[in-house]
Parts: sequence; structure tokens; C-alpha cells
Amino acid sequence: MTVVEQTGAPKTTSPGRPRRRPSPLGSKWTPYLFLAPAALFILVFQAVPLVQEVYLSFTRTRLLNPTRSEWVGLDNFKRIFGDPEFHSTLLITVVYVITCVVVAIGAGLAVALLLNKKFRGRGVARALVTVPWAAPGIAVALIATWMLNAQYGIVNRFLDAVGLGVPGGAILDSSRYALPAVLATTIWQLFPFTSVVLLSALQSVPQDLNEAATVDGAGRWATFRAVTWQVIKPTVGLLALLMTIWSLRRFELIWLMTKGGPVGATETLVIDLYSQAFDSKELGSAAAIGMVGVVISLIVIIGSRLVARAVEKGDVR
Amino acid sequence: MRRFRFGVTARIVAVLVVLGVAVFPLYWMFVTALSSNSDLFADQPRLTPDLGQFGVFVDALAEGKAAGWLLNSLIIAVGTMVLSVGLGIPLGYALSRFSFWGKAVLTVVLLFTQMLPEALMVVPLFALFRRFELLDSLTGLVLVNSAFVLPIVALILKGAIDGIPKELEEAARADGARPFTTLTRINVPLIAPSIAATAVIAFFHAWNEYVFAVTFIFNPDLQPASVGIANFIGELGTPIQTVMAVAFLFTLPAVAFYLLVQKYVVSGMTAGAVKG
Repeated sequence: MTVVEQTGAPKTTSPGRPRRRPSPLGSKWTPYLFLAPAALFILVFQAVPLVQEVYLSFTRTRLLNPTRSEWVGLDNFKRIFGDPEFHSTLLITVVYVITCVVVAIGAGLAVALLLNKKFRGRGVARALVTVPWAAPGIAVALIATWMLNAQYGIVNRFLDAVGLGVPGGAILDSSRYALPAVLATTIWQLFPFTSVVLLSALQSVPQDLNEAATVDGAGRWATFRAVTWQVIKPTVGLLALLMTIWSLRRFELIWLMTKGGPVGATETLVIDLYSQAFDSKELGSAAAIGMVGVVISLIVIIGSRLVARAVEKGDVR
Repeated sequence: MRRFRFGVTARIVAVLVVLGVAVFPLYWMFVTALSSNSDLFADQPRLTPDLGQFGVFVDALAEGKAAGWLLNSLIIAVGTMVLSVGLGIPLGYALSRFSFWGKAVLTVVLLFTQMLPEALMVVPLFALFRRFELLDSLTGLVLVNSAFVLPIVALILKGAIDGIPKELEEAARADGARPFTTLTRINVPLIAPSIAATAVIAFFHAWNEYVFAVTFIFNPDLQPASVGIANFIGELGTPIQTVMAVAFLFTLPAVAFYLLVQKYVVSGMTAGAVKG
């Protein structure tokens, strides 16, 4: 990751002066005084646990006796990568993440373009569309489970009424429909975020350029590609990165709707990691699975940086 | 002319469909809470709320544990909000206004934490909490939730401070103000909207948090609402109307506050990520 250095940083550091008359910028320790409490906090609750987790991934450690851990080197990684169930977990994770990214951004863009047009009540519409994003994940999991209830759920009643009913109706218990249902719920929660972000990006699309293109006889699609898309492209890239990272770490929605089931049909890496730790009580394998997820995230972040840089240079369009 | 009118109609229909999809599940939560048993299990479900059933909200709070859950959530959320914003303001200020050794590393760490799943960190944190006797305490949840929301709070506030002209501070400094005074007197009032947005983010991060709460709290009296409501899923003892009423009371403040500060939240979150 590259760090954008802010120009706000003071250019000159003044020599220390007697305490009675503090220098304009304080001493060179001043920034550390400001950041120390927060940094300590992040160190204790994020950095140290992460290092411990990395260590755990090279050990065999049981939840019931966590102080006794045995160094096993790469065994955990060898075992999980040799396990066909883990391959299926990886595949489901990839399907889940890619679908979330593509559909959430696609739907968000469609909604943003729709709400970018002038009409009466547009402000209200823009506010209402963000409701799913603001709703707590727990509440979303609960209402989704109720709406998908086999007997009384409104979704089944509707599907039956239009003749598309799932036999037996138990969508979340079906290895075929559980993942689409979880995906639909996830995307329902994500699309408001992408659409609001894209909507604000659309504000910087120059209207006169759009008009010029239309006057020149360009079709809607051509105008979109030549003008709008060029402006919102960086935002789309950023959203794709955010959606990927968020989807790789999403836990409670999937866990509460299906616990990864039926028979692993909705088991992503994070679900697998949690059930390894708390159902199978194998902390070492759980940590190893977690590390796989962290490495995937890192690759995505670094990869997206490289792509962004290539785009800036004009190598890729 | 006909074509034009068709376009407008199609657009109105599309907007209504989108809004329907966005709002329906929460509307349905409300309708289910306000349904009589006969409506709930009838062949033709009732599609509008039965306002005569409004007592369900009162009952949900008066009976059972829901009021206690919501109170616990409130305590955790307020604590997290105060702590993470309190630590995030000076951190954001340091990142925005000073250059110092380790700044690049710190920024990368802040961004890196955004990709760590809570479910991964829960095991080592459990060991840490046991050692410091933070299990079964709301304080423990305040501490861990603050640590997880602090990076985004700090990055948003850094972005906000970046937007303030430095000249204002320099004038104050020329008058002999110390850095801390400059921060509290000059910067904080100017970034008040961003502080409000981060307060909302931090508050609802803790209000919604589930993984740590379900793992670190055993005493049912200390459970927050997220855990209480999650336990309803798949459980059959509680009437579904009560379940939905509690969930609705849990959801409403989150939606209301996010709508209020949405503009700042969205620009802040994307700004925090763009700088990566």
C-alpha cells in the first residue's frame, strides 16, 4: 500500500525551548503524545492477538487446553490444503466474494444512475434507499430467516403464488438455494452503500460533456462509456476493493442464517475458521484457515494497488 | 411525446421497485410484530400492520429481558463511542499535522486492521480477556470494540483535519497556544460534523457487534441485544411477534441515526479507504 503523505505536515521543526514558552509545534515528542494512547490500544487489541494467531497457525492447540500448544510447523496448512472440504470452502468463498462484488456494484450503479435523474421526491428516495445498509446485521439475519421460513415465510408464499415455489419451501436448508439466498441478503445490505458512493461520484460527471456527446449523436451506451464511466472508474475500483475485503470477513450474517450449512453449502473461510475453533475445538487449524483469508486479502489489496498504478500510467484501460 | 411519457413512467416504476426492495424487509418486521396469531398463520397473510396490536412493543419491553439487553447495548455503545472518538481525535490530529518517524507504518497498520475478521481475533483475545479478568464484563466489550472501530474513526478525522487551513492553527500558535489547546479550541469545533459522524459509526459498531459479545459474555444479565436477538433465531419458545418487536426496537435507532449523518459517514469511509 502506498501512503499518501499529507502536505499538512509541518516542514520545519523548531529547536526545543524552555517549557515556559512552548515552541509553536511543541517538541519532537508532541506527535507521539497525541498518538500514544490510540497506538497502545491498537497494539494490545489488534497487533498482539494477530501475532499470537500467526503463531497458533503453526501449532496444534486444542480449545480445551489452550496453554499447551505443540509446534507442528506447516502441518496445519498441509492438512487443510489436502482436505477436499477445504477446497470446497475456498470455492464457495470465491463465488460468494465475486458475486457480492459484481452484483453489489452493478445494482448500486443502476440505482445510482436512476436516482441521479431529477424527479420529485428524489431526496426522500435517496434517504430511503440507504435503509438496508443502516440496519444491524443481526436484525437483517433475523428478518431474512423469518421471510425465508419454510411454512410461513412471505418469500415462499410469494414464490408459490407465482408458481416458482421451492419444493418443501426450506430454502435455507437446501444445498442448492441456501447460497443464493445468503447472497441475496448480503447484496440487499450492500447495494445502498455502493449506490450512495457512486451517486456522489456521478456528481462530478460534467453535464456539458454528456450533452455534447448526445448532440454529436452518440448513443446512450456510448455516452456512458466515453464520459460517465471514465469519471466513476476510480470509485468503482475502490468499491470493488472494499466489497472484496468486507465479503472475505463477513461472519454474522452467514453464521446466523445457515451456520455454513447445509453440508457446507454456504461455508466461507471465516465460517470454517469459527467452526474449527469452537465446534471442532482445533485452534491451530482455525488459525491456519484464518491466515489463508488474511493472505488472500493482502494479495487483493496489493494487486489492486498495482492495477491502480498501471491505470494511472495509462498502461491499462 | 409518447415516448417521453413512457420513459418517465418507467423511471417512476423503477424507483418505486427499488425503494420497495430496500424498505420491505424492515416493513415486514414491523408488520409481523403487529400481527395477531390468526393473521400470522393464515393462508392469506395480512400485508399491513394491525395497529390494534401496538401493545406488543410495550409488552416486549416490560416482560422478558429485552429492556435489559437494550440497556446493555446502550452502555457498550456509549462507552465505545466516547473511548474511540476520544482516542481517535488526537491520533487523527497527529497523522494530519505532524511528520514523525513511523508515520507510514502506522498508517499501513490502520488500513491493515480493516481486513482482519473479528472471528479470527476472537481466540487470542479470549485468552487475553481471561488473563485480565475482562470476560463477562461490559468494560471488556467497550475496550475491544473501541480498538476495532478506532482505525476508521482516526482515518476519517485525519481526513477532516486535512481539510482545515493550517493558517488558523498558526495564528493560534503565534499567540502561544500549545498543540493540545490548538487541537481542542481550533480544530475540534471545525470538524464537529465529522466527529458526529464518527460518533455514530462507533456507537453503532458496538451496538451491532455480535462475535465478541457472544464469546466473552456468559452471564445472561449482561447480554447485549445483538446476542439476545441472535438467540431468537431458530428458537421456538418466544412468540414471533415479540421477537420482531424487539428486533425492530433494536433496528430503529441505527437506521434513524445513519440517515441523519449519512453524508459524512459515506464520504468519510471512502476517504479513509482511498488514502490506502
